[in-house]
Amino acid sequence: MTVDRQSTQARDGEDRSIIAERITRTFDELVAVDTVDLAVPSGEIFGFLGPNGAGKSTLVRVLTTILAPTRGRATVAGHDVVRDGAAVRCAIGVALQDVGLDGLMTARELLVLQGRVFGHPAGEARENAARLLETVGLADVDPDKRVGDYSGGMKRRLDLALALVHRPGILFLDEPTTGLDPVSRAAIWEEVRRLNGDDGVTIFLTTQYLEEADRLADHVAIIDKGRIVAEGTPTELKREIGNESVILTFGDAGTAGRAAEVLAPMAEQRQLTGEELVLYFASAGGVVAEIVRRLDGADVPLKGLALSQPSLDDVFLRATGVRLSDADETVRDEAEEAPPEGSSAGVAAGRGGGS
Amino acid sequence: MTDVLLLVNRSLRVVLRQPAAIIPSVAISVFFLFVYNSGLSSVADLPGFQGSYLAFILPVAIVSAAVSGAGLAGQELIRDIESGYFTKLLLTPTARLSLVWGPMIAAATLLVAQVVLIIGLALLLGLDPATGVLGVLMVIFFAFVWGMAFAGYSVLMALKTKNAAAAQAATFAFFPLIFLSTTFVPEEYITAEWLKWAARINPTTYVFEAMRSLLIEGWQAGPLLIGLAVVAGFATLTGGLALRAAYKETQLTK
Repeated sequence: MTVDRQSTQARDGEDRSIIAERITRTFDELVAVDTVDLAVPSGEIFGFLGPNGAGKSTLVRVLTTILAPTRGRATVAGHDVVRDGAAVRCAIGVALQDVGLDGLMTARELLVLQGRVFGHPAGEARENAARLLETVGLADVDPDKRVGDYSGGMKRRLDLALALVHRPGILFLDEPTTGLDPVSRAAIWEEVRRLNGDDGVTIFLTTQYLEEADRLADHVAIIDKGRIVAEGTPTELKREIGNESVILTFGDAGTAGRAAEVLAPMAEQRQLTGEELVLYFASAGGVVAEIVRRLDGADVPLKGLALSQPSLDDVFLRATGVRLSDADETVRDEAEEAPPEGSSAGVAAGRGGGS
Repeated sequence: MTDVLLLVNRSLRVVLRQPAAIIPSVAISVFFLFVYNSGLSSVADLPGFQGSYLAFILPVAIVSAAVSGAGLAGQELIRDIESGYFTKLLLTPTARLSLVWGPMIAAATLLVAQVVLIIGLALLLGLDPATGVLGVLMVIFFAFVWGMAFAGYSVLMALKTKNAAAAQAATFAFFPLIFLSTTFVPEEYITAEWLKWAARINPTTYVFEAMRSLLIEGWQAGPLLIGLAVVAGFATLTGGLALRAAYKETQLTK
């Protein structure tokens, strides 16, 4: 069956490419995704941000029909992911966190086979393969070289090309730049922007990189421990906690706690994490002197002070109480003791990593 | 059907790029043919023994090739699961029937090539099949369907265990079936009563008998029909179970 972008979008009467309603997915006792609601407008880049193990990949697997939800309902391109999975799969392109390539095949063979199983005639599939290799910046690589000899970045790009073979209207990219060098990462970002800007592809992008979500996404949802803790445009989310932030560091957590009490009347929005206290203001320029004066007056020794624009990490910090980078560390520690996610979830869902 | 052919073609290409995966299976078959034919050929001198021992032992070499060679189907599936390519294929409109049949037919096709080689060697050694070229083609057909049956079992084990070593071990569990049968001598020469019974309930015996009837006796409806029922039944059973496992284990929505 050949699927074109027009037909995909025409079915989406509500102009929402992806809708999730109270989606929950459990693995035995573990609740990987907990009553998640989402609505992704057509033509957007939707950033799904969270640390490792937060539930990002599990939700992607539910929305791409690889995993059935335990509870809740979701539609993608107007089709129910449980009742009409085949139609969903025709409308979407998917590049999962772990690239799905056969190292013994060549890029040309993989792309042609992918085209053929999506119903393209052999000649068209071969032409598309050449075009896609150029699109993802692999035109200079021998298309008859075995994929097993590719670098990580080249594999990612080829995986993206495979996801685009049938010209999907919706593209799921699960951590597309994780583990890539800065040059490869920039190349993927450029391609994501081009697909969205020039071709109008709706992109659901999961990432653990704040900068990636900030730079690429029109809307961002932040997930932590299976639940969405914040959602909006990056600008809106940052504005909610203030336009500027003052980051204060102290010798120990106790001192930082005392400082938080002393400065509480000054800043309604504040976040205390260990030895660091962050205060959020509409404008921080005029308050720095007052902060120092109050701390001096209360005999609270200050170790460092910095002014900053709030970042999505601040949004994450405010929503979860930890910074995204710290959350990653915690999850990694827990992961060493816990069974891998999806371990009981069968072939398609059972492969490593992910969140 | 096109998808099945595409995936068979892909499986064949990929397997042929791994000669190390094919050579042991070919070697085992050739070993059976040469070693048993030269070492046990005096069995043919026993009173009442029909035909040449070469024609008698050839089906053993063919069936052993089916058991070891068809394991490739499961091995390839596990390689795809581990590389993530299986998930990539699941996300296409390809039916899971194609995902299961693709490696099964590819393995059975490779088995046919292997059987042609073994029969070629047997002809060089002096094999004179009683039913001529058509009978040899029928033997190859039996080998193909029996190969499909073992490939189905191998795919089933691959989907259940998702572990290359476990799937391979499960395939080798069928090797005793080759030997608990009329492997080296006809049933009337087996003295142990328990082995006679084992041979009678062992489906491999009827595959041996069908092939031997073609190579030694000529066109005989009885052993051919029974043999056909056994290989077709076993292939349907393992193929069906493999398909069911593909639906169950992938958890893909409909």
